[in-house]
Amino acid sequence: MKAVVIAAALAAPLTAAAQAENYAIDPFHTVPYFDIDHLGFATMRGRFDRASGKFSIDRAAKTGSLEIEIKTADVSSGDTDRAGRPRTRDEHLRSPDFFNVQEFPAMTFKSTRVVFRGDEPQSVEGNLTLLGVTKPLTLNLERWKCGADIRTQGKRYQCGGNASGSFKRSDFGMKLYLPTAIGDEVRLWMSFYGFRQ
Amino acid sequence: MDELLSNPAIQAGVAPFIAGLVVALALQPLRLGGLAAAAAFLVAAQLVSGIQFSPLTATRKIVLLAIAAPAVGVLVDFAFKPTRLGAVLLALAAGAGALWVAGPVLAQRPAAEAWILGASAVAACAFLVGFSQLWLAGDAVRAGAAALALGLGAGVAAIFSASLAYGTYGIALGAGAGAFLLPQMLMGRRSHAGGTFTLPAMLIGGLIATGAMVLAKLPWTALLVLALVPLAVRLPGPERAPVWLQAVIFSLYGFAVAGLACFLAWP
Repeated sequence: MKAVVIAAALAAPLTAAAQAENYAIDPFHTVPYFDIDHLGFATMRGRFDRASGKFSIDRAAKTGSLEIEIKTADVSSGDTDRAGRPRTRDEHLRSPDFFNVQEFPAMTFKSTRVVFRGDEPQSVEGNLTLLGVTKPLTLNLERWKCGADIRTQGKRYQCGGNASGSFKRSDFGMKLYLPTAIGDEVRLWMSFYGFRQ
Repeated sequence: MDELLSNPAIQAGVAPFIAGLVVALALQPLRLGGLAAAAAFLVAAQLVSGIQFSPLTATRKIVLLAIAAPAVGVLVDFAFKPTRLGAVLLALAAGAGALWVAGPVLAQRPAAEAWILGASAVAACAFLVGFSQLWLAGDAVRAGAAALALGLGAGVAAIFSASLAYGTYGIALGAGAGAFLLPQMLMGRRSHAGGTFTLPAMLIGGLIATGAMVLAKLPWTALLVLALVPLAVRLPGPERAPVWLQAVIFSLYGFAVAGLACFLAWP
C-alpha cells in the first residue's frame, strides 16, 4: 500500500505536466480576416494571408495561452490591379494611413486568460498590439475541435477552429477617414489550426 | 461637426488655410506672420490623427519637428544675424532631422536601398532648409511661392504614393503658404519671412515627402526634384511688377518643378 502511494505521488507531477499540451500554429491554415464598414453602405472584407504563433491548453487545470503574430504586410483586400489608378487599395492599406507596415510590420495578440466552458475553451482574453499600441481584446471561439489529422493518417494531433473578436481602430491611432468614410469598428475573424508538439 | 471636420477638403484646405490666414494677419505686425505655414500643418495634423507622441512614429516625429522648427526660426531671426554659417548649421540640423525621422524605418530595408533613400532624405531636407535660409528668407514673396509649390507638390505626390494622410499634410502646408502670400498680394506689400517662415515651411515640406518615400511609395527621384522648388523660384522674374503678379509668376516656377515631381510619383 505504501509503495502504491509513493508511486502515485511520484507520478502525479508527470500526469499534470502531460495535461498541458503545446501547439504550434499552422501558418498555412491560420488566416485572419477583417471586415469594416465602408461609407455607411457596405461591409468590406480583407485578410492577412497567414499568421504564426503557438498556443497551449491544460484541460485539467482549465488554463491555456495563445500567442499569435500577424504580418501586416500580408494584408490583402483583393485589389491588386491599379487599373489606371496610381495605387491599389492593398497598397493604400499598407501605407501610414492604415497599417503602416514599414514601421509596424506585425500585429500581435497575447493572451492573459483562457475562459473554459466545461473542458473546452470558450474564449481567449488578451492584448492586441497594433501600430505600437496595446489594448485588450477578447477572441471568442466559435468552433473548436481537437483530434487526429487525417492528412497524416492520424500520426499528427491537431486542434482547430474559428475565433472572432472586434476592436475600434481609433484606439490604436488608426484614425483616417473617421467617422463617416470608413467605420471605426473592426471585426476580426480567423480560421486556425495548431499541431501538437 | 465631426462629419464636417473629417472631410478631406476641410482637413487639407479650408481649416489649415483659415488658421494660416489668422496667424499671418494677426502676427504680421510682430514680424511673425511666417508662422502661418507651421500653424496650417499642425491644424491638419490635429484633424487627421490628433497630435500625440506615443508611440513616437515617423509621422509623429515630423509633427514634433514642426512644433520645434518655428521656435528655432524665430530665435534665428530675432537673436542672430543671418550668416552663411548659420544657414549651413540649419541645413545640417534639417538633415539630422530627416535621418531621425527616416532612420529607424530604413534600418529594416536592404542596405543599398536604405543608403539611397536615406541620402536622398538628408540631402533634400538639408538643401531645402539651407538654400531657403540663404536665398529666400529675405524675400517673403519668393519664400511663400516656394512653400506653396513645395507643399502642394509634396501633397499630390504623396497621394499618388498611396498616402492620403501625407497628401493632406502637404496640401495643408501649401494652404498655409497661400495664406501667408494672400495678404501680401492683396495689400501689395511684402511681409517678413525670415527663418520664422522658411525654416518650418521647408523642413515640414521636405519631411512630408521623406515620410511619403519611406512609409509609402514616393520615388526618391521625386523627393530630390521637390527639393529643387526653392531653386526654381529664385529664377529671374519681374522685380518691378506688382506683388500679386510676382507671387503668381514665382509660384508658377515652383509648380513647374513640383509638377515634375508629381509626374515621377505617378507609377
